[in-house]
Amino acid sequence: MMSDLHSNWYPIASSSDLPKRHVYQAQLLGREFAVWRADDGHVNVWENRCLHRGVRLSIGINNGTELKCQYHGWRYANRTAGCTYIPAHPADAPARTICNNTYPAIESHGLVWSGEEASGDLLSLDGFDSATVLRAVPVFAPMNMVAEALLGYGWDDSCKGAANDDGSVTVTAGDGTAVRIFVQPMDSNHSVMRGLVNQAPAGAGRAELLQTHSWLMQELRDRVEVLAAKQEAPAPYEPVIAKVSEDLVDIPALGTDGRKAELRVQLVKKEMTAEGIVSLRLEPIKGQLPTFQPGAHIDVHLPNGLVRQYSITNGPGETDHYTIGVKREGDGRGGSAAVHDSLQEGDVLAISAPRNNFPLRRDAEHTVFIAGGIGVTPMIAMARALNAQGLSFEFHYFVQSDDHVAFKQQIGEFERALTIHKGLSPEATGAKLKEVLAEPGFARHVYICGPGPMLEATRGIAASQGWTDEAVHFEYFANTAEVDDSTAFEVDLARSALTLQVPAGKTILEVLREHGIDMPSSCEQGACGTCRCGVIEGEVIHQDVYLSNAEKAEGKSIMTCVSRAASDRLILDI
Amino acid sequence: MLKLYDYELSGNCYKLRLLLSFLGVEYKSELIDFYPGNQHKSPEFRQINPLGQLPVIDDNGLVLRDAQAILVYLASKYDPSCKWYPRDNPEMLGQISQWLAFADGITGTASAARLHDALFYNHIDVEAARAGAHRLFRVLDEHLFFAEEAGQDWICPGDHPTIADIACFPYIMLSEEGGIPRIDYPAIRRWSDRFKRIPGFTVMSGVFPAGPAAKDSSKAVA
Amino acid sequence: MSKPKCEDQVALNLWYTIAPIAELEEPGAQQTILLEQQIAYARNAAGEVVVWAHEGVPGGVPEQNTLPVQERYGYVWTTLGSPNSDIFPIPEYAEADRRNIHAATFGVNVSAPRLVENFLDMGHFPFVHTDILGAEPHTEVKEYFVEVSEERDEIIASNCKFWQPMAAAASSGGADVDYIYRVPHPFCSVLYKSSPLDESRKDVIAIFIQPFNQEQVRVHMLLSLLDDANNDTDIRLFQQTIFGQDKPILENQYPKRLPLDPRAETPIRADKSAIAYRRWLSGKGITYGVIPPAA
Repeated sequence: MMSDLHSNWYPIASSSDLPKRHVYQAQLLGREFAVWRADDGHVNVWENRCLHRGVRLSIGINNGTELKCQYHGWRYANRTAGCTYIPAHPADAPARTICNNTYPAIESHGLVWSGEEASGDLLSLDGFDSATVLRAVPVFAPMNMVAEALLGYGWDDSCKGAANDDGSVTVTAGDGTAVRIFVQPMDSNHSVMRGLVNQAPAGAGRAELLQTHSWLMQELRDRVEVLAAKQEAPAPYEPVIAKVSEDLVDIPALGTDGRKAELRVQLVKKEMTAEGIVSLRLEPIKGQLPTFQPGAHIDVHLPNGLVRQYSITNGPGETDHYTIGVKREGDGRGGSAAVHDSLQEGDVLAISAPRNNFPLRRDAEHTVFIAGGIGVTPMIAMARALNAQGLSFEFHYFVQSDDHVAFKQQIGEFERALTIHKGLSPEATGAKLKEVLAEPGFARHVYICGPGPMLEATRGIAASQGWTDEAVHFEYFANTAEVDDSTAFEVDLARSALTLQVPAGKTILEVLREHGIDMPSSCEQGACGTCRCGVIEGEVIHQDVYLSNAEKAEGKSIMTCVSRAASDRLILDI
Repeated sequence: MLKLYDYELSGNCYKLRLLLSFLGVEYKSELIDFYPGNQHKSPEFRQINPLGQLPVIDDNGLVLRDAQAILVYLASKYDPSCKWYPRDNPEMLGQISQWLAFADGITGTASAARLHDALFYNHIDVEAARAGAHRLFRVLDEHLFFAEEAGQDWICPGDHPTIADIACFPYIMLSEEGGIPRIDYPAIRRWSDRFKRIPGFTVMSGVFPAGPAAKDSSKAVA
Repeated sequence: MSKPKCEDQVALNLWYTIAPIAELEEPGAQQTILLEQQIAYARNAAGEVVVWAHEGVPGGVPEQNTLPVQERYGYVWTTLGSPNSDIFPIPEYAEADRRNIHAATFGVNVSAPRLVENFLDMGHFPFVHTDILGAEPHTEVKEYFVEVSEERDEIIASNCKFWQPMAAAASSGGADVDYIYRVPHPFCSVLYKSSPLDESRKDVIAIFIQPFNQEQVRVHMLLSLLDDANNDTDIRLFQQTIFGQDKPILENQYPKRLPLDPRAETPIRADKSAIAYRRWLSGKGITYGVIPPAA
């Protein structure tokens, strides 16, 4: 019986119950839903419970793209319901995605339909294509009692009620006017009557129609409630509280996904966004794209077999597509040329799930973004996230000329926070950076992404102006340094109790793979941070550009794709 | 300066803090140990209000009690735009008075249930209070549904909220503390979102702020 | 007393605060509920506090069948069972220069353990106690230590720090404030907070929860402060403001009972003390106000 009810579609709200920036509270068969419409129109039907500490999400804030929990400010993305930010740990990029429980939703005929396990199409609503949605009337009575009473519903003597297969009731008058009323079972003794009339008058006619039925349904409600009060109330439904997945219970373990292409996407739009830079809009073949955090990148598996990393530029809650930017590199390894020359709209590509090695803190009082050239892409996503939260930031974008300014529309959102510096010489750039970085201070952070030399220079200027290592965040998109792999050494794997020999000419990562240890990786040139691993003992020759100087000096981490042992032996925390 | 005999957790005091904040009127809060000190029942306080109730204001010697009465006074005196209490518009004044009385009914039911659950006013028939609040909320929800249909955001006609909205707001928002859920009142829930977005809105303990309105649908109410 | 309605032997055998002693100044017997049992309390003719269980008709102060009573920290404590340990110590309460203030007793529609967990939590300060105990964007919960003292059978979270916008009346800006939390009783917690007056000492805030039933409680709040500037009313109302902000959060938690299954909710590092608390309750075999694991 229960499972039948759970697989039905029920109307749980009127479309007009979901104005933008509102969170509607609904209930079906004992389970509460938080229902909200994003600014893009998408209707989200989620379990009304933040998975962190069980607080109702219906008391949270719909900011247009994300729903923010009132208790600890966790943010959940439109569509995916994936958590995009945990304010208690602003420096972390969640290694795992915490996802709220979502339920199917269809918006049709001015109503929002859902059901815990609803699938397939709605039943036919023939004859109600041009309909008026009546004011919903809740009743403290069981669904069946309400449905039975509705058979006698009517507004004149010619009205006849008939039950439909889906449990709704259609009441038809002699003149052909028909009302179809659905009964939404909120709980065992609490229901809502939701009606559609097969007429759509405007103005005074509409108001009269709505008022008539509001009045009649409330009369019916009062009668049914008297009846219901005479019976013993049925026991309330007890919705099953689903367990969260095993991997969310403890501190996240090391990922084991290696370098896999988990997703298939279609290139829907390819256009030049600036000189030498193409913008690609990727949409899922089916279903949803995973939740991403600002600063995240994806691996794109190109038709020529190469794998390249590109940052996601999307704003918060834009989960129906990813937009990336690719610059044609004259001396690149052939990846960008493949994107520019061979990819066409309609092509299907394999990509990885988003990974974030460039997390954005949102606990800064002020954030400075410094982008050079194509390094602008992760910064766009970051600044859009801060902008949506109304947090203070400034965005400096260094380009050769106006023709080189990419994603003009997106960065235009930043308004006065945006400064574009065009055609500056290296000296002039240095002088400008000194100016921009003149004021380090408490809770001020700077993010840098751009070509290697500019990045190096900017980090140097920041340090000389008094910015601490912890306040300076950067991402290299390539490691241009020469990697030396001429040494040989031994690695002990503390947790796997294995000892492996790393010969000259091979990386630690390659040796791990050969022995069946599935270490995640992405760029494999010491730039992205994905293959980071803990060091328990031994000295490291760092050859990456990912770790900060402080982290390198501390010697507790190694990028296994390029870095090597300075001693004979390293003990790694795997 | 205007003095408000005030208690943070009192929805009736909050009505006045709201209006004063909307109007930008400076005032001084004289904190009363309502609970557990029962200071409002003390002989000293009864000299200020013989009914032994909050709130009370003292405006340059004019001492007034009763939240609704004080709303009328403050709006009449300190709102030069006359929008919160349009004193030259008899139709509006009639409707506002009707809803001020309705707000008193909310206090007598929803607030009573809250006092029972939170502060152990055990003499209150809490089931009757909750049932009474639901009866009133049903009436208000229907009213607000049809107000929206008519393109009207507030309890009384016009494009600006009135003291009727202020008088109804607090104890509706605090109803859950008295075991009165608002899931059945979607039009009330939408109205309270709009109310929280009025410029100058301020919270009290138990009431959360709303997020910003969508840019394309925001209506100025300044 | 007939068979207790609460079947949790661990919960039955604990001491509970049932009222501030000041309430006994009122004439006649006062009524309350503990673990679904109706009880009454009064001062008898000899001036002693007497607590007794009854079935709806309290009657006069009985000679027999009374419950054990202790007066501690300004409150009346009793038990429906036979506690095998004394009420936990709060040594600061006895320090001569402290002001001990009963802030309030509030009824809350939530289970006792949910309330304790909220009391231990710092991450909500900027969102729930906005501009008082925290303010965005300063939201980080820094690493802290948690230990379960076997000897004292209590949880201690130490080296806790959280950024507070008006850390001291004297300073214009915000700063990190230090906290230490103790959970010495399944339904009580004691918090130590940097004193703005004396760097070497701390203000104490304690909550003693009296469960009416598994999903409704009342909480008694004690302050033991070094403050010499504010009057009692201001101090009390400040604490009430803070608690009033937590109340709607607590009453909007689902389920109302604290789920002890590690897969019921999603912890983060900031929740270390809460994880320790849930494990400690599981270890004790508490079933009252919780959803036991693998239920």
